[in-house]
Amino acid sequence: MNALTSMMLLPLLGSLLVAVIPSDQTLRIKQAALGTTLLVAISGVMAWFKFDSANTSFQFVQIAQWIPSFGINYAVGVDGLALVLILMSVLLAPVVVLAGWNESEGGRWSAKVFYILILVLETMMIGVFAATDVFLFYVFFEAMLIPVYFLIGGYGSGERAAAAVKFLLYSLFGGLLMLASIIGLYVISGTHGGHTFDIGQLSELHKFMSPTTQNLLFLGFFIAFAIKAPVWPLHTWLPDAAAAATPGTSVLLLGVLDKVGTFGMIRFCLTLFPDASKTFTPVILVFAVISILYGAFLAIGARDIKRLIAYTSISHFGFITMGIFAMTTQGHSGATLYMFNHGFSTAALFLVAGWMISRRGSSTIADFGGLQRVTPVMAWSFFIAGMSSLALPGLSSFVSEFLVLVGTYTRYPVAAVIATFGIVLAALYILIPVQKALHGPTTPGNENLPDLNLREKIAIAPVIAVIVALGFYPAPLLNVINPASAHVLEVQGFTDPVPSESAGK
Amino acid sequence: MNPYNYLYVSALLFTIGAVGVVVRRNAIVVFMCVELMLNAANLTLVTFSRINGTLDGQVVAFFTMVVAACEVVVGLAIIVTIYRSRRSASVDDASLLKR
Amino acid sequence: MTFTAPVLNYAQLAPMLIVLGGALIGVLIEAFGPRASRHASQLFITVASLVAAFAALVRVRNQSSVDAAMGSVGFDGAGVLLQGTILIIALLSVFLIADQENFTALAAAVPGSSEERESLQLDLRVTEVYPLTLFAVAGMLLFPVSTDLITLFVALEMLSLPLYLMAGLSRRRRLMSQESALKYFLLGAFSSAFLLFGVAYLYGYSNSVTFAGIQASITGGSGNDVFLLLGIAFISVGLLFKVGAVPFHAWSPDVYQGAPTAITGFMAAATKVAAFGAILRIFYVAFANAEWQWKPALVLIAIVTMVFGSVVAITQRDVKRMLAYSSIAHAGFLLAGVIALSKSGLDASIFYLFAYGIATVGAFGVVTLVRDSAGEVTDLNRWSGLGKRSPLVASVFAFFLLAFAGIPLTSGFIGKFSIFSAAYETGSTAILIAGVLSSAIAAFFYIRVIVLMFFKDPVEDGTSVVIPSALTTTTIAVTSLITLILGIFPAPLINFIESSAFFIR
Repeated sequence: MNALTSMMLLPLLGSLLVAVIPSDQTLRIKQAALGTTLLVAISGVMAWFKFDSANTSFQFVQIAQWIPSFGINYAVGVDGLALVLILMSVLLAPVVVLAGWNESEGGRWSAKVFYILILVLETMMIGVFAATDVFLFYVFFEAMLIPVYFLIGGYGSGERAAAAVKFLLYSLFGGLLMLASIIGLYVISGTHGGHTFDIGQLSELHKFMSPTTQNLLFLGFFIAFAIKAPVWPLHTWLPDAAAAATPGTSVLLLGVLDKVGTFGMIRFCLTLFPDASKTFTPVILVFAVISILYGAFLAIGARDIKRLIAYTSISHFGFITMGIFAMTTQGHSGATLYMFNHGFSTAALFLVAGWMISRRGSSTIADFGGLQRVTPVMAWSFFIAGMSSLALPGLSSFVSEFLVLVGTYTRYPVAAVIATFGIVLAALYILIPVQKALHGPTTPGNENLPDLNLREKIAIAPVIAVIVALGFYPAPLLNVINPASAHVLEVQGFTDPVPSESAGK
Repeated sequence: MNPYNYLYVSALLFTIGAVGVVVRRNAIVVFMCVELMLNAANLTLVTFSRINGTLDGQVVAFFTMVVAACEVVVGLAIIVTIYRSRRSASVDDASLLKR
Repeated sequence: MTFTAPVLNYAQLAPMLIVLGGALIGVLIEAFGPRASRHASQLFITVASLVAAFAALVRVRNQSSVDAAMGSVGFDGAGVLLQGTILIIALLSVFLIADQENFTALAAAVPGSSEERESLQLDLRVTEVYPLTLFAVAGMLLFPVSTDLITLFVALEMLSLPLYLMAGLSRRRRLMSQESALKYFLLGAFSSAFLLFGVAYLYGYSNSVTFAGIQASITGGSGNDVFLLLGIAFISVGLLFKVGAVPFHAWSPDVYQGAPTAITGFMAAATKVAAFGAILRIFYVAFANAEWQWKPALVLIAIVTMVFGSVVAITQRDVKRMLAYSSIAHAGFLLAGVIALSKSGLDASIFYLFAYGIATVGAFGVVTLVRDSAGEVTDLNRWSGLGKRSPLVASVFAFFLLAFAGIPLTSGFIGKFSIFSAAYETGSTAILIAGVLSSAIAAFFYIRVIVLMFFKDPVEDGTSVVIPSALTTTTIAVTSLITLILGIFPAPLINFIESSAFFIR
């Protein structure tokens, strides 16, 4: 059976398994969910080793007719880009299940529903990256909102219902704009060789579009992805959702779901509408740079630890968007690597923050102090995650941030220079809370906090390991990403700028 | 006489009926206005039948009469039921449903 | 003068004749049948005649392109599909109607009178709702296949008159129910007068009452265009009234709210199929070549209908009124299929009608289950926390709402996609944009209800979810299953519609 299809079916079967376990056997349910996600992770790693990185076309391809009258296929396949993101998703899923072992308590519904939602969501996460049929992608893109909506609204804290609704409405609005564009593509494809949703065939279609049409269709896709990513000024749903959701849900939301936005920009915006992408690049770069700085400033001012992480993510997504629209191979590779790294560093931040909050019973940064002495393991984990988030050399995010900035500089030096201030600000927004919460004297209320238990250590260890390992040796990932990035740009005729020294001579 | 004049008359009747439906408040009067509209349509049909020189229009008119009779049966049943419940046939009194 | 016997083609008319026969038997049972077994025998006759009619329809489905009843009835693929849809919806609605709890025991008795009390106490129920349903179904079957103006008018009255009466049969809140019957009747009769006036002018224009004759005159272009324009305008008013398009929608919220819920479901689903069937036929067959006369106006009406229905639905506090405005919005979406005026538009409309009709019956079926001691509870505030009271019922209702909103993996999404792409294909960009925007607005109020059901705590005011009867359970299960299956595997139905939907001209 096709590797991707079986990876998508596994969590679905797992959710059925969970569904038949009686809801009072919570432990069994958790074990079943963990087992399933581990199996999926293993099959993801196996797919990684089977993947031929020299081959730039889609691999593990499976195509089956779905709705032939509309030319819709069940078509999956991965290139380096999608594979990296799928690997990230399937690795994070068991971490989230293990780290959030008790997250489902305090929800509106039973643990059973929680894990069914998580597992269904995992299927859709894999599907959305694996789909090579635009319609299939859209189905996953929209359908995955529903489990997330119930995860936030049912198991979150604080204003969870309002946050869930805000998230859903923003996403649905973007999705509907994208639907309009998809219908546009469908109709245009019908007049040029028959209705199709195949991404390969559709990428030829831009030659037949007038600039106006292409721009409008591009905007439909881009706004949907910019809401998802999120890019300033469409970001306002994210802090609320991240603050209300459980840490595990937040990891999936920021780590995986939001990547669909940036992934979509590469896979759909650039590939389907190269000319429109060029037209809009200056505007998008401005938004990206604003996101970087704006997110950083908000993060500096944040009092709530979950909101802080959400704001840092806005800043990081600014970097990723900038890397994508720099249209250089370095920028693209950097952006893709950034997506992967951001997934892990955010996961570490959110999970440790979640543990801190559940121990202390407060999410206000000012309530913490001197955790280093009381709970050394937890404090160190948070520290490493924070350092990775500010892209300290030697940790994974450094490589990607560096690549994005270099890639952008060769074409848009001004944007790159301004974005560099983001790094300075990142040092501030990470170091201030680290100093407040971890170092210094132990403030009242923190003296008796327990340190991480074995389960939590096991959950966070692989994440920290990935962060450190990729910081020293990103080559295995880059070997897969680079050919794919080069291919994406090459197909639609984007070339790297000639280095300016040689041009000047 | 120019048969087109009948068209004007029937259009006038139809308009009177339509205006009546909109402005009158008594359900029975409203219903009579509807009947007026149906009869205006009948007059139009018969006139066109004359102008076109075919009988189809007159056939339609017969059907209309039958249908209108059925409508009276159903309509009066509903109006009478309402009247028995409320002792009033005014459309304005029937206002339990939110506007 | 010799008299030639008319050729009727009984085989093609059989479905309608069977239903009418069933209705007449029902009347006889009502008059002479023993009171004790009346309900059971009525139900049996109704179900049996609907099933037999469906069987007769299946038997003759391929003998299409035949004029039955001397050219008054056009028996073609589209007609078969529409009739089949109506019969399926009618059968599912009859299961809801069979729950006698909802109907007044004696419609003729004055509300609150001793007569009424007595009949309730002795359980002396009259069951005239069954023959009325069958008469209405017969009219609905005839409406979309009528190919001349006389049959069209007669069929319209045949389906409307029983519905006026059925709207007044509610057991609880009888005054409101009677009031809705009165409103429905007066406005319905008003609109039929418009239709008839249109018939007169079309006859004057073309000297023919058949669709074919009108089409021939339009193609020939010999008649007086003023008559044509008046005819199209007045006929459209009459037909658009039946589907509840703005500005002819005023009746629908009141009637939806006042009528017994099972009847509302039947009326909302089946009338819409029948009326849109007739609209499709008359615009695709008779008026197709006068496109320039009606298209701009219809585009405007469609846009206003979509937007108005969606916007006003937001402010509703009653679930039945909300569904009424949602059905107005859906009428606007369906008009997009009429405007498309193409084969794909026809296919999409028929699919949409089927999917929407099924989901509507199911949604109203769920509404009948939420009750307190005084009958059904339709106030949305009192629906809050329904997810806690009865997770299954609330989930099913949420699923129907998602289908109305057009979220992927429900039938509504496929319907929306196909109908908008058909409209856009023929150049109606405005329809596409308005449709997408109003879908976004509509999503807002569907989600609001979901929030209410799942994320709010229940109010203790005696609202409860009753255990549904076996027949109601069947209806809700079948409708939700169909809605799901059409969302995941729509291909068989789409292929079937595509291969058989066409109009004889």
